[in-house]
Amino acid sequence: MRRLILRRAVAFLATLFVVSLLVFTVVRVLPGDPALLIMGTEGSPEAAAALRHAMGLDRPILVQYVEWLGGALRGDLGRSIQYDVGVGRLIVSRLAVTLPLTLLAASFMTLTAVPLGVYAATRQGRAGDYVAMLLSQLGIAIPSFWAGLLLILLFAVRLGWVQAGGFDGWTAGFWPGLRALLLPAFALGVVQAAILTRTTRAAVLEVLRADHVRTARAKGLAERTVTWKHVLRNALLTIVTVVGLQLGALLAGSIVLENVFYLPGLGRLALGAISARDLPVVQGVVLFVAVTVVTLNFVVDVLYTVLDPRIRYE
Amino acid sequence: MAGSPRLGWLRRTAVVLAVGSGLGIPGLAGPPVARAQSPTLVVQTTAEPPGLDLTATPASATATVVFYNIQEALVKVDAQGRLVPWLAERWHTTDNLNYTFFLKKGVRFHSGREVTAEDVKFVLDRARNPETKHPHARQYEDITTIHVRDPFTVTIALKRTNAMFLYNLARQGSVIYPREAVDQQKSQPIGTGPFMLERWDRGDRIVLKRNPDYHVKGLPKLERVTFRFIPDANAALAALQAGDIDVMAFGLGPESVEVVRRAPNLQIIQGETTSDVILALNNSKKPFSDVRVRRAITHAIDKPEVVKGAMFGLGRVLGSNIDPLNPYFVDMAKAVPHDPARAKQLLTEAGYPNGFEAVLKVTPQYSYTVRTGEVLVGQLAKVGIRVKLEQIEWGQWLDRVYKNADYDMTIIGHAEAWDAGNYANPKYYYRYDSPRFQAVFQESESMLDDKQRRELYVQLQKIMADEAPVVWLYVYPRLVAAKKGVQGIWKDLPTPSLDLSEVGWAK
Repeated sequence: MRRLILRRAVAFLATLFVVSLLVFTVVRVLPGDPALLIMGTEGSPEAAAALRHAMGLDRPILVQYVEWLGGALRGDLGRSIQYDVGVGRLIVSRLAVTLPLTLLAASFMTLTAVPLGVYAATRQGRAGDYVAMLLSQLGIAIPSFWAGLLLILLFAVRLGWVQAGGFDGWTAGFWPGLRALLLPAFALGVVQAAILTRTTRAAVLEVLRADHVRTARAKGLAERTVTWKHVLRNALLTIVTVVGLQLGALLAGSIVLENVFYLPGLGRLALGAISARDLPVVQGVVLFVAVTVVTLNFVVDVLYTVLDPRIRYE
Repeated sequence: MAGSPRLGWLRRTAVVLAVGSGLGIPGLAGPPVARAQSPTLVVQTTAEPPGLDLTATPASATATVVFYNIQEALVKVDAQGRLVPWLAERWHTTDNLNYTFFLKKGVRFHSGREVTAEDVKFVLDRARNPETKHPHARQYEDITTIHVRDPFTVTIALKRTNAMFLYNLARQGSVIYPREAVDQQKSQPIGTGPFMLERWDRGDRIVLKRNPDYHVKGLPKLERVTFRFIPDANAALAALQAGDIDVMAFGLGPESVEVVRRAPNLQIIQGETTSDVILALNNSKKPFSDVRVRRAITHAIDKPEVVKGAMFGLGRVLGSNIDPLNPYFVDMAKAVPHDPARAKQLLTEAGYPNGFEAVLKVTPQYSYTVRTGEVLVGQLAKVGIRVKLEQIEWGQWLDRVYKNADYDMTIIGHAEAWDAGNYANPKYYYRYDSPRFQAVFQESESMLDDKQRRELYVQLQKIMADEAPVVWLYVYPRLVAAKKGVQGIWKDLPTPSLDLSEVGWAK
């Protein structure tokens, strides 16, 4: 276990280094720069050039990189060009939206998809299976932003139960905050839930055909015990792997949903920063997401050994 | 029309949906429960300002929030586009070279300190100092000295007569701020406006509160104003329908106007802007360097059809760069009429009997450019010009097209008022270099007699129509959707601001 962690830590740092190098280069190779975007068509290109110089963007790229990396290692991700505040502070403030949103979507996804997938598998070929598969097919087919818009039109515009979007922060209380995230979390989770339902069904079907399940049944165990204890436990390995990957997809999907519901989250921050070429913010967010994804993968790896004692990394 | 971009593809797909659902399920657009009317207002805008310092960014997104609401200038462009005294209650000049301004007394900054002539001197000295990197430093280059005569009187001396001098003092870059607060302008601007900045939640909203000491008695009418940044037009429309916002100030697409009009609790405010949507041509590049080709392109385009196809019929057809809000506007829309036969003939004369191929760059961040482009491709094909539509992201557009003139044709709206000077600048991305135009323009810049200046402007418009450096398509309409009961919003937009000082709720 210790060697595993050590090996992972080295891989972790190497990944981050590569990510930092990549993102730093890519945002600078892209045509367009923050000075041009600040000036827009109302300002002259000469004024933009002067501003670019003032921001130090005309210095050699290596010098800029070393300076940024040095800061990042000391925990200083720089200052947003557009917002004039520290990038670290900006990311933390956006997490107050994106983290609960992603978690809510993930809970919704897991709590509906896993039972539904198991249910479909145990009733393979029967009506219940068909209904479940139809639902998941529908879920996969509907783009999340479209689902989001329909939900807004129904629940906010027509029924007036929730606001059409936006997020007033957690200071107003837990319930108002949560309520603002319900629709987007649902819209965000529904596609991934559909995928997970299918995966769960397939994984459970696979295990249902295994010898030990037949043995369990032959022992006279109740069907429920067989399903939840002997089948699901073995199928979980696949499910956890997929859920781990889906968490990344949810994070990415939040970019679209945060725009439809105009939530001030990390996704919108990233998108806005790319459009405005707010380089320190783009770099900071990408680095942060990379750290998160690599950490998640690590957690999934550790979970494997817990779920399946046969897996040994040494 | 510059500003921070939005999710164009998402918008366009979603627009179809929102319109569709509005039409198909009438009940879906029904009125929500009206919010209790209080002297507060929630205003949606599409783009978040790239900083709040008007002396550092010319972005209209910044002007929307800050100009006239937080900060003001010596002179103001009012709702009718007239120049009116503002922080300067009057001025006089005997030789058109030395202007003496008499400041309105008792005007206080939000910090409580009274505005003095020293502030005016500081602001203008700073603007014309190259070190400042003011985006429009050239507007102040004719100033030679600024002399403070007493705390409320200041004389500005010019090296030559400048017809745009007073107008430039009314522009967003000429706002008066306290000299001790110069460093906090970017995130905490202080001014003399009807509202003070309360807070800026980055990426979400800006909240302004009433300035109790505002120098215009009885204003503002609102206690608090919240600007919410909602880039997606459908999300914004839904928020308006759901009652989350009171005013959708920018970004209402022409396709949604009917939906708003039919809603019993909403109103549409429709007017003119200074935003000219043009098909820019790269005058330095073949075949566009040939005036016959440029004229042929103009003849090939059926502008009313463009407005119909791309703008749902909203927007005024344009024939030169001078917009209808300009006092010297002459309607040139019919000067070069739609005439495909003439277009073909001109192309043959220019040596392109079979037309040619060209790339038209548009940017999905501004969906009207894409829609307009799609209509133009069809119209130009009829005279043999085979146009390939290429969509590029706004940041790339600014770099490749605007900065480096790396393009054949492009479509964009230019929001700046009084921007004919761009056509006198051969380095501008049109690369239009006409000594005839430049000479008349220079003369107009120093011509103070209004009648003669008007004649020069008429001449400029005729030259533009004749030399066809670009194709002026239409004026982008001002489309504001608001709850019924919101009053005092400017109908037209002669200057890039969203003046909320007189906005309030009907009793």
